[in-house]
Amino acid sequence: MSAETVADLVTRLEQHPFTQGFPTSALDKLTQAATLQTFQPGTFLLREGRDADHFYLLLQGQAAIELYLPERGVIRLQTVGPGDVVGWSWLLPPYRAAFDVTVINTVQAITFDAARLRRLLDDDPTLAAHFLRRLVAVIAQRVHATRLQLIDMYAVKGGRP
Amino acid sequence: MMPTPPSPAAQPTGPTGNAWVPIPFTVVRRRREIPGTVTLWLAPPEGYPFAFRPGQFNMLYVFGVKEVPISISGDPGTPVPVAHTIRQVGMATQALVNLKPGDVVGVRGPFGSAWPLEHARGHDVVIVAGGIGLAPLRPAIYSLLRHRPQYGNVVLLYGARSPRELLYARELERWRGRFDMEVLVTVDRGDRTWHGHVGVVTTLFPQADVFFSPQNTIAFICGPEIMMRFTVRELLDRGVPPERIFVSLERNMHCGQGLCGHCQYGPFFICKDGPVFPYQKLATLFGIREI
Ligand SMILES: Cc1cc2nc3c(=O)[nH]c(=O)nc-3n(C[C@H](O)[C@H](O)[C@H](O)COP(=O)(O)OP(=O)(O)OC[C@H]3O[C@@H](n4cnc5c(N)ncnc54)[C@H](O)[C@@H]3O)c2cc1C
Ligand code: FES
Repeated sequence: MSAETVADLVTRLEQHPFTQGFPTSALDKLTQAATLQTFQPGTFLLREGRDADHFYLLLQGQAAIELYLPERGVIRLQTVGPGDVVGWSWLLPPYRAAFDVTVINTVQAITFDAARLRRLLDDDPTLAAHFLRRLVAVIAQRVHATRLQLIDMYAVKGGRP
Repeated sequence: MMPTPPSPAAQPTGPTGNAWVPIPFTVVRRRREIPGTVTLWLAPPEGYPFAFRPGQFNMLYVFGVKEVPISISGDPGTPVPVAHTIRQVGMATQALVNLKPGDVVGVRGPFGSAWPLEHARGHDVVIVAGGIGLAPLRPAIYSLLRHRPQYGNVVLLYGARSPRELLYARELERWRGRFDMEVLVTVDRGDRTWHGHVGVVTTLFPQADVFFSPQNTIAFICGPEIMMRFTVRELLDRGVPPERIFVSLERNMHCGQGLCGHCQYGPFFICKDGPVFPYQKLATLFGIREI
């Protein structure tokens, strides 16, 4: 990767809410596993049941976390956009994606190669601490939102409208 | 704690001066909004003056069934015929939803407190609505847009269960097309035909953050209580002062005038002290079990 590309990636990482505030040395290291990529509408960032071999920081566009149910078709569970992250199944064995993530509007993202990213985190406990703290915050927010979704708060009390 | 005594300010205005007697209004128009929800436009008897403030409600009586509180959902600039958007949940609302033009409904009102639009002047206004909660907020939106230069940024965050349950969809589109208002919409669950945001209404805040400055914001919230609780937290976390957060509450009602105690909520009567409350007044009650 050219010095220019690395500098560009570091700038983008500095601006992304997930990596904002990381020490520059940590950002430099992360670029070893990162590339800047564009994804067209209709393509998948992750496919349910397949290898979760990438982690994404979204810069532009919109993607949807989806689940396919044979009798109900595709259920769109959540949308993600600029400033969001996609994927955490790459962190834990068996590294398999739990949902489909489909691009709705052209996505520009910093894409991390999961195997390389894991190695970087294994080798550098300080980087791992920064990274995992942010990831836990994201997971906590998602769990929180999912709980609210589960309540089905717009339903009529005592039955469905 | 004892409830506060009724305040004369809460009495409705009308030629009879008797807030107990339902006045016969005639249904002049009916529109199906979303499944199970209609808007009725009700015309008062000839010469009966009717005016309301955004956030207020009427007690609607379908003769022989029962009387229920329903917010006024129309434009306070053109208060008659009076618009009410009603979701069918039980006997009375079912009877209302089934009314046709020409049918007659008993109306008492308007009752209750209003969205504090006068305090909102000079501030950014963030409106957060969930489901049918958009109905009591719509008069406030009409008012804000009518006097648009008096306010800072106007931001509407609206969440519904699914795309087909988005209330006033055409109006939302129109508002979204304006250059002087931000409209962000989300649904709890979408399908492939829905290209908008999916997630609960609170997940819209990261997108909305650029449109308002918390210190200078006044917020109006209406929707299921759980949604209001979590929305209040998001606003407080961002630094919106608690005294500038307003919520609208619902409880079963009977007299609508602070006399019978049916709608008591802690030390308050929702019908008279509310339905619109500053969050600060409710902070210690909000979310407490069995209030
Ligand atoms: C100030 C105020 C303003 C209101 N504005 C509106 C409005 O603009 N439009 C509107 O459609 N309704 C509004 N409501 C709610 C409406 O008054 C109730 O839905 C109505 O009283 C229910 O009467 P019912 O006989 O149809 O149902 P009930 O027989 O009383 O109840 C049937 C079922 O519905 C449930 N239920 C009752 N009320 C609600 C509710 N509010 N939300 C969810 N489930 C409920 C009950 O728990 C029960 O399971 C408002 C309430 C208040 C207090
Ligand atoms: S309905 Fe509020 S006191 Fe009677």
